[in-house]
Amino acid sequence: MSAHLPAGLRLTASDRPGVAQPVPERDIPSQPWGRILIVAVLLAAVLLALWEVRWRAYGSEPAYRNSDGLWAIQRRRIDEGEGGKTVIVGSSRMLFDVDLDTWERLSGERPIQLALEGTSAAFALDDLADDPQFTGKLIIGVAPELFFTGFGYRRSAFTHYHHEGPGQRIGQWLSMTLIEPLFGFYDEDFALGTVLRRQDWPLRPGDKAHRDVRKLSVSEADRNTRMWRKVETDPEYRELARQIWAQKFGPPEPAMVARLKDALPKELARVAKAVAKLRARGVEMVFVRAPSVDQYLDFEHRAFPRETTWAPLLAMTGVRGIHFEDEPTLQGYELPEWSHLAAHERPRFTEALYRLMHLPAASPPPASSPNA
Amino acid sequence: MVFNSLSFVAFFAIVLALHALPITWTARKRNLLVASYLFYAAWNPPFVILLWISTVVDWYAAQKLVRAERQAARRAWMLLSVIANLGMLGYFKYGGFLLDNFAALMNVAGVAYQAPKLDIVLPVGISFYTFATMSYTLDIYLKRAKPADNFLDYALFVTFFPHLVAGPIMRPTELVPQFATERRASADQLRFGLALMTLGLFQKVVLADSFLGKTAESVFDGKTAPGAIDAWFGTLAFSGQIFCDFAGYSTTAIGAAMCLGFAMPDNFRFPYAAIGFSDFWRRWHITLSSWLRDYVYIPLGGNRHGELRTYLSLMGTMLIGGLWHGANWTFVVWGGLHGVYLAVERMLRSRFAHCRPGPLALFGFAMLTWTLVNITWVFFRASTFGKAWDVLGGMFGAHPDAKLLLGTFDLLSVGVITAGILFAHWQLRERTLEALVARTPPLLLATVWGLMAFAIVISQGTGSAFIYFQF
Repeated sequence: MSAHLPAGLRLTASDRPGVAQPVPERDIPSQPWGRILIVAVLLAAVLLALWEVRWRAYGSEPAYRNSDGLWAIQRRRIDEGEGGKTVIVGSSRMLFDVDLDTWERLSGERPIQLALEGTSAAFALDDLADDPQFTGKLIIGVAPELFFTGFGYRRSAFTHYHHEGPGQRIGQWLSMTLIEPLFGFYDEDFALGTVLRRQDWPLRPGDKAHRDVRKLSVSEADRNTRMWRKVETDPEYRELARQIWAQKFGPPEPAMVARLKDALPKELARVAKAVAKLRARGVEMVFVRAPSVDQYLDFEHRAFPRETTWAPLLAMTGVRGIHFEDEPTLQGYELPEWSHLAAHERPRFTEALYRLMHLPAASPPPASSPNA
Repeated sequence: MVFNSLSFVAFFAIVLALHALPITWTARKRNLLVASYLFYAAWNPPFVILLWISTVVDWYAAQKLVRAERQAARRAWMLLSVIANLGMLGYFKYGGFLLDNFAALMNVAGVAYQAPKLDIVLPVGISFYTFATMSYTLDIYLKRAKPADNFLDYALFVTFFPHLVAGPIMRPTELVPQFATERRASADQLRFGLALMTLGLFQKVVLADSFLGKTAESVFDGKTAPGAIDAWFGTLAFSGQIFCDFAGYSTTAIGAAMCLGFAMPDNFRFPYAAIGFSDFWRRWHITLSSWLRDYVYIPLGGNRHGELRTYLSLMGTMLIGGLWHGANWTFVVWGGLHGVYLAVERMLRSRFAHCRPGPLALFGFAMLTWTLVNITWVFFRASTFGKAWDVLGGMFGAHPDAKLLLGTFDLLSVGVITAGILFAHWQLRERTLEALVARTPPLLLATVWGLMAFAIVISQGTGSAFIYFQF
């Protein structure tokens, strides 16, 4: 395994078999490194400033990144003495629609926001069911296409929380202190790879156009989250957000139908198991089906009829459910992209939800609703 | 903590400041040692204990070994070190794998045995620091090195944060002497070190993570088997990703050490321009391949005991090299295939010893090497043999009606980056990076440096781990 070394190359351990390896020698190329460094730093700073200006002009504003680290901070509150509080789990509707300020004003207690976009509440239920420190109240968002399929776009948040090391915590703190409150460009949607990937590249023959969900929300440090203003004010962007949802509104492929059929009983059993564990600890729970409208609601009615999803859920778990179609106070809101409330609607919705939750519990609604 | 994280930026700034303090050299070395333990503890503090065990056992074994007069005693102390290190590695890295295979073997033999589920967390970098500490006792046993003069220098050799978790795998003779005399980076060392760190992070954050990694994931972690174009581009994406990820780490590590005034060895020498597999292994993960050569291949007999023994040693070394990368038979197959390539190359070289191929033939051999290296990466990346066969089948036309997994942008970015890597490797095949930099106009260097720094920031890497941490 000995080697012949071409001229001009630095020797490495490859060239010295079976001997003690000497102290490496590294040459510094002869260049005016001081001036080079200054120009490089200036260039990077100017480009970065232009990049920030470009994204501010697009409508971005500094906000806390809805990262796994941010979620873990809220999740840790349960470990740090707040296990008796109200916790919100679910997906983006519970995340965007519930206003923590309003809830705090009404109840005197700020809830812990653990809803994760694109993710079934079942993951959080499993996690909290296994945590004896959690004994509080649980508001469980049910977004049918996620909840009844067990979809988990943000499952990584749970792994992150359970395995987060001190280095990651420090990094999260530094990011929330030095970067996130200052820069509008620091958002997953504006990352270089994402921006390039989302250009209108020509399609490969036989390929179907598919667009990922775009930025829809803005978060505060405790994950109090609202719809991004651009979705409400920019008709073109709002239409894009709607068209992205509309990609899934067509007739489902047979394989997808089979998968859904297979997933439903499993997910119901999974949730029932977690609910039983939580109930045994005295945790109060309520399922909430937040509003959706127009084409999105039509899709949900077609693909996830209440009588085969929501009704069995309540029957199997014995947990109270609040469905927006049953409650006049949860209807009539503005949902710019059919799935989430406009930011200004959050206080009214939150207050209505709070009041409904604090009414005496009624028996579960009938399996078929007039609106379904 | 990972190099591509904000916590490392803060950590490194503090380390640089402490290293510049007007205090004694011993105090600065202590600072580096404490900083290195903090660097490691940032993942999982209890695992620092493993690092201490490895450090203390090898220090003690080496002290005893050097004082022992009888060969049997020397061997016993050397074996203690090897067993302690490999035992720790075996438990944490291969415990579950061994138990699963034992259960499978029992079931084949008709014994109903179900292995208990071991929930063992792999300490980051354990494969790297156990190899580094073993080289300390082995070099002393082989009388290639003297023990360190003091425990501080030795502990710092094991723990020095730039190389601790993913190499380059340092030998004691490379690093311990550097701690003997005071080291402080010159202004140009600091600046060039920062430039190297920028280059390394650009490779990792921008090329590997932002562009190549996602494409490789779509193909290797997808639920369906890929068609030919997707399979090839997914494999090329991984080929580029693993190079940019690991060479990026090594370059960042070399730069970080340089900023502190220390020199670390090259770990990569533009491997995708290799002509033949022995050339490839002199260019790819040099510190591991030379470690395996010096402490496995040569002790197994090397090429000193006839042809058959040489081939067996070669094969054994490459199989161990494969297993070193991960507790999965796919890694063993990856190592085994490289062993076969090396053996065939050796056979052909001896049969055609007088043949002097021209430049075109050499280029053809290089392309053949690169192609086989890429095909073999499939076993390295695929988590199961089923997935490996899916991808290999796709590459050779077994799934003509497969669903498209990659978009135009994926193909374009993989094509451009792969071409760029190949071009750069061929340009630098017989040169060092430093030689190229020395001949580049300063304004161009500053522009490239600034653009790389800008691209790193706007790529918004979220501190994803380097691939080799899992090994």
